[in-house]
Amino acid sequence: MKKLFYILTVLFVVGSVSSCREDLLQQENPNNLTEEQFWKTEEDAYKAVNSIYNMFYKTGLWARWIYFRLDLTSDEGFSNSPWIELGDWTRFQYINYNFWEGNVNTWSDTYKAVFRCNQVLAYVPNIEFADQEAKERILAQAKFLRGLHYYYAGILWENVPLVLEPSKPTDQPQQNTLEEVWAQVEKDLTEAAQVLPAEWDGANVGRPTKGAAMAMLGKLYMQQHEWQQALEAFDYHIHGAGLYDLASNYEDNFRAENENNIESVFEVQFSDANIGGGEGDGPNQNMGTHRPQFFAPRDIGWSDGQARFWVVEEFKKEHTTGGEIDPRLRHTLFYPSLEEDFGVLTYGRTWQWGENEAWFSKYARDHARTGEDYFSPVNFRMIRFADVLLMYAEALNALGRTSEAYQYVDRVRARAGMAPLAEAYPAIGNNADLFLERLKMERVLELCGESVRWADLKRWGDLDTQEGVDAVAARDPDFQHFEVGVNIRLPIPQSDVDNNPNLEQNPGY
Amino acid sequence: MRTIVLRRLGSISLMLVLACLFRPSFLWAQQAVTVSGTVSSSDGQGLPGVSILLKGTQAGTMTEIDGSYSLNLPAEAPGDTLIFSLIGYRTLEIAVSGRSRIDVTLQEDLEQLEEVVVVGYGTQQKRDLTSAISVVKAEDLQQRQATTVAEALQGLASGVTVRAGGRPGGEGRIEIRGLKNLQSANPLYVIDGLVTTANRDFNPNDIESIQILKDASAAAIYGSRAANGVIIITTKKGREGPMRVEFSAKSSLQTIPRYDLADTEEFARLNNMAYDNAGKPRQNLDLSVNTDWQDVTFQTGNMQDYNLSFSGGNESGSYYVSGNYFGNKGTVIDTRMDRLTFRVNTEARRGIFSIGENLEISNTQVDEMFDAFPGSPLFGVFRMLPTIPVYDDSNPGGYGYGDEDKARTFGTNPVARANLEHEDNENFRVRGNLWSELQLLPSLRYRLNLGYETSSDHRTYLREEGSWTLNQPLDPALANENRARSENKLIENTLTFSRTFDRHELSVVAGQTYQREDYQQIWGSKRNLLRNPNGGYYSVLDQGNEPQTGGFENTRILLSYLARLEYNFDNRYLLNAIIRRDGSSRLGSDYKWGNFPSVSAAWRISQEDFFDVPWISDLKLRASYGRLGSGNIGPYDYIPVINTFSTIAIGSDQHTEQGAIQVNLANQDLRWETLTQQNIGVDATFLNGELTLAAEYFNAETKDVLFRYPILLTSGTSESPIVNGVTLRNTGFEFSLTYQEAQKPVNYYVTANVSTLSNKVVRLGYDLNRHIDGNTITELGQPVGMWYVLETDGLFQSEAEIAGYTNADGKIIQPDAQPGDIRFKDHNGDGQITNDDKVVVGSPWADVEIGLNMGVSYKQFELSMNWFSALGATVYNGPRSIMDRFDDNSNYRSGITPWTPENPNVDFPRVVYASTLNARGDTDRWLENGSFLRLKYISLSYELPQDLVSRIGFSQARISLSAQNLLTFTSYLGLDPEFNNSYIFHRGVDFGSFPNLKTYSLGLQFGF
Repeated sequence: MKKLFYILTVLFVVGSVSSCREDLLQQENPNNLTEEQFWKTEEDAYKAVNSIYNMFYKTGLWARWIYFRLDLTSDEGFSNSPWIELGDWTRFQYINYNFWEGNVNTWSDTYKAVFRCNQVLAYVPNIEFADQEAKERILAQAKFLRGLHYYYAGILWENVPLVLEPSKPTDQPQQNTLEEVWAQVEKDLTEAAQVLPAEWDGANVGRPTKGAAMAMLGKLYMQQHEWQQALEAFDYHIHGAGLYDLASNYEDNFRAENENNIESVFEVQFSDANIGGGEGDGPNQNMGTHRPQFFAPRDIGWSDGQARFWVVEEFKKEHTTGGEIDPRLRHTLFYPSLEEDFGVLTYGRTWQWGENEAWFSKYARDHARTGEDYFSPVNFRMIRFADVLLMYAEALNALGRTSEAYQYVDRVRARAGMAPLAEAYPAIGNNADLFLERLKMERVLELCGESVRWADLKRWGDLDTQEGVDAVAARDPDFQHFEVGVNIRLPIPQSDVDNNPNLEQNPGY
Repeated sequence: MRTIVLRRLGSISLMLVLACLFRPSFLWAQQAVTVSGTVSSSDGQGLPGVSILLKGTQAGTMTEIDGSYSLNLPAEAPGDTLIFSLIGYRTLEIAVSGRSRIDVTLQEDLEQLEEVVVVGYGTQQKRDLTSAISVVKAEDLQQRQATTVAEALQGLASGVTVRAGGRPGGEGRIEIRGLKNLQSANPLYVIDGLVTTANRDFNPNDIESIQILKDASAAAIYGSRAANGVIIITTKKGREGPMRVEFSAKSSLQTIPRYDLADTEEFARLNNMAYDNAGKPRQNLDLSVNTDWQDVTFQTGNMQDYNLSFSGGNESGSYYVSGNYFGNKGTVIDTRMDRLTFRVNTEARRGIFSIGENLEISNTQVDEMFDAFPGSPLFGVFRMLPTIPVYDDSNPGGYGYGDEDKARTFGTNPVARANLEHEDNENFRVRGNLWSELQLLPSLRYRLNLGYETSSDHRTYLREEGSWTLNQPLDPALANENRARSENKLIENTLTFSRTFDRHELSVVAGQTYQREDYQQIWGSKRNLLRNPNGGYYSVLDQGNEPQTGGFENTRILLSYLARLEYNFDNRYLLNAIIRRDGSSRLGSDYKWGNFPSVSAAWRISQEDFFDVPWISDLKLRASYGRLGSGNIGPYDYIPVINTFSTIAIGSDQHTEQGAIQVNLANQDLRWETLTQQNIGVDATFLNGELTLAAEYFNAETKDVLFRYPILLTSGTSESPIVNGVTLRNTGFEFSLTYQEAQKPVNYYVTANVSTLSNKVVRLGYDLNRHIDGNTITELGQPVGMWYVLETDGLFQSEAEIAGYTNADGKIIQPDAQPGDIRFKDHNGDGQITNDDKVVVGSPWADVEIGLNMGVSYKQFELSMNWFSALGATVYNGPRSIMDRFDDNSNYRSGITPWTPENPNVDFPRVVYASTLNARGDTDRWLENGSFLRLKYISLSYELPQDLVSRIGFSQARISLSAQNLLTFTSYLGLDPEFNNSYIFHRGVDFGSFPNLKTYSLGLQFGF
């Protein structure tokens, strides 16, 4: 009895002691670095900037949905998805502005990327670096990437809030006009271009070079019709140190082989190293692109997006100097006579789809496999030299220097075996309008399915008048739903409009 | 009346015998004063056998058969107070004060028969409660076939709302007195003193009693974890006597409610109509197929519940040993649950020392249902078209699904998914406590309680090769496995002092507790599994390639000090005061500690001298005020962390490099969420206990609710951070009335519980004025999550109506509409239908919830029923918003009559494929009245006659037949108006929730 009493007393004391240790309430998080521990070393800064590139792999951006906005909404593509709402968002049938796949995912991933850029830009300057240039390059990468994401936000929604500091939960950022957005993009890209190297060493290939920043700047100026400034930006590539040229094989621009080649100005680096990995922010994140899975023909992929058949017809209008079908067609589209024309099957199958159907084949892996998945390692060539050449020509033409512009178009045509423009289309001459009309087609033939067409249509003003829209609608009947002055930009996700008093819905929505 | 008289006569004879036995000892003093009188009951009848004792002496007597008495008081008696006592009646003390005649009326003491209520770190007499506590009888609970305690509680206590799970292993959700917390409204479970969860691993058959602490003053003893109420479960103990063996078996059949869906013929007619209206060529439907997807996906489920227990004890100890098997084959193919539990509860006493333990070991296996949208079987059954065959050899894996020409749908074949995916969870859990008590002084007791719980969790997932939906990517066979261990340790020291001084009863509890919870998980997965030539795959992680692994751990600690004072003066004035101080590792550094006081008081009016209402046997008023806390968030939510999981491919070799950045915002100043509650209540018993009433009014304010308040997407955070953002006010009435009459041979009782609740937002996160979430809006001063949608206004019947539907400026509001399309109200008058036209059109909250329990017994038969009704909620029928939309293909509800020019007088709009005009989800078209009345439970039982039972060696045997959810009266068109949506802003959205099942049970129970 006494013994028990002692035991209990001991237990009581033990219990009291253990429960009195109030410092136990300070529990370290055993799973993660804390913010307090971070932003100290150079290594932290390298990792932080890396994490911005990781945003390319997110579903709202370059892994998936942004292609629906840039390729399918344009007159090159459309959706015949059995998922009607998904298709509606490629044909200006916007009902629910909170539709995740069509709108919100891309918006929120854009701002997640911006949040990462802003952290690097706010915190890395306080980190001591042995090599000051290395630090500057990190900041320059963050600026380039922020500029890139805001550029596309400007293309899609136009009047977006510019968030430039690390966010706080209470933030209700002010809305900005497109002009203000463009000015910020210009600032970021200009500052990046001053620091970024012309070339990275082998281990860092894939990070933006000075050329990448200059090309993005050029694209930005083009959208603003700042033709002279665009020319000056592109001069870097065309008349610079000779770092850029056209790849000898056109298809080298769309396959996992020969990535980051001489034609590449900026690429999104996809990889299947984490095959089977998930989306989101957890471990083992998927680093592949889902685009081919979503754009592959029925029974092979989701078949949510495909090409308009007029593109096939456009290709067939002009043959090479050797009388052949334009070889770029083979690497641009799957279409009914692909096997007949080039002896090529579609994912190993003879044509089994509609007579007037075509599917995008750039970035597809049909030459290597019979199906697709969510883990494609094929890099997305966001800017390649051929695009720069064609934009250069367009800027020259816009400045009235049409005759000078020919050579750059011809350089692109020549790789495909096409005759010089002046030979093939002698009627154009020095007529800038006719030249531009032809150039619009040249851009389709060279760049179809490379996510430039939506910005092109906006730049050309083809969607600013009902007349222009009608012309586009002749190629792509989805534009019959296009409302001039409204659908030129997307509706802003309604949840942010509803809950941010400083944000107005875009006009007309 | 005759029966009462007879009963009294029986007891009179007994009392007379007793009186004769004891009489001699009373007669020791002859000289002095004589007091005489009559003792009668409240109905005026004389009470025989009442013991009358002179306080502080041995002097006394007993009443005669007519209730009269006569007692000689010794002259030198130390006092002159008489004590009148009789079993079953309340003891009365009366001062003689020189009187020679004293007539006394004794009140029946109903409470003497009542159970003691466990209030946390102690017990109280139910009659002495000063706060809102519901007691649920274990038998009521155990009669029901339920996986978890929560499910079985529905309708048994006022103010307690339960939404059941329904599928094997599904756990119901309980809300006590409504919405107080936006994160998780689950109450705290305390099982034998261990703070834990009464999840599916717990065997409800072991329950001895359940108490639900509803208001702040009751729950305050659990301080920071009690804001959502506390459910205290005490498991069974052995009773004094020889070993008692009890066996019960329950067997049930379960069916799932079904939609009435179109067959191929009706589907084809409607589908063709939708394509024709859209001007699109019809699908090439395969009319030779007529699949009833509900037939192939649903099955009759069953439940088996076998429980065997042994118990017994003597004055120095007791034991209770039980074993249970619970099996549940689901109503959806390829789902089931099996649970084995063992329990040993023992206790022993010697002198001032007692010790005991409660231990449960359980193993639960669940073959889970696939439920990720859009694969949920409840969506699959109507997203699949009747023209699709279940099996199709031309598809990979051999299952039928959508087809571009014949059946355009991304619906998921539920059979394929069930057969190609295998997800199993197994939890092995040991849970229990070891306690010991030392009665240091007669009035002072020390108790040490050591609680321990551990669970080993094992989850496996195997995905075989094959497809279940149109165009899906061909995934290789893959396996995923994770193992986790959780531990929950508790140390509690409490000292209890209780003493009665004269008419003062005082009890004080003081203690300290320490609780630590740890969790670790590790997982791995492999792809491209090796096929087993005998069928299936080698699904162990040694096989396959492309490995991935991960793991994490966390710890939570809570330190507490607690004290409670109970004071009772003369059974008239009751006071209860509690303070608890909690420190949590989960809150911000400067905000870890919180104090949670409460005080409650009651006044038993019926005990007052002036109170003289014969038909009221007990009347008690009570009031309470209390503050509770809640820190129910993740272990490290206040610490902003760096996400180190992002990787990138970089370099000419595309090697992988690590990234690291903050991806989620955090609020570092997280502090306790507090609930301040005032409660006023009255308890009354009328007509000798035939009628009892409990009524409450409460007013609760939850301040600084910890919640993942959705913030703007422009913040760039992946997940909205937890914030102390919202303040809510809940007010409500609870009313419980029981009428019972025990008139042999027919006994019956009726209990009605009525609760009303209204919630109002006092402050919103980050001081915003409103929050719009999906189809709901939450505004200051209004209830949470009101419906905020476009209002429909009938259908256009003609082109003229469309042209005539203009705003003030003459602008045609819906120029694209056609006759048969929905007319929407242009509330802002701008001549177009946009988000700005949305208005608040209703509330997802029920105005009143009513529970009705009834029972009647006749001889050996007993019939009981439990009805539940919730009235006044407006709910969103998610499944119908898919079945009726027609712009995207799905199967349709049978019998619908869409608008056609020939049949225009309908309310169902024109059906059009691929046009969202009528199909949009943000309109009141999908809102419905969610009111319902449901027979939750009905049972008929038969107690075998005693002579028959004893002949086969039993002491008691019972057979019962019961049914759950047998009848439902509602106008709601979904499967179940009693659905479950845990996202606070979408509480009224039925998004294909798993419905409550109809269950028919046969139970057998016997003991010896």
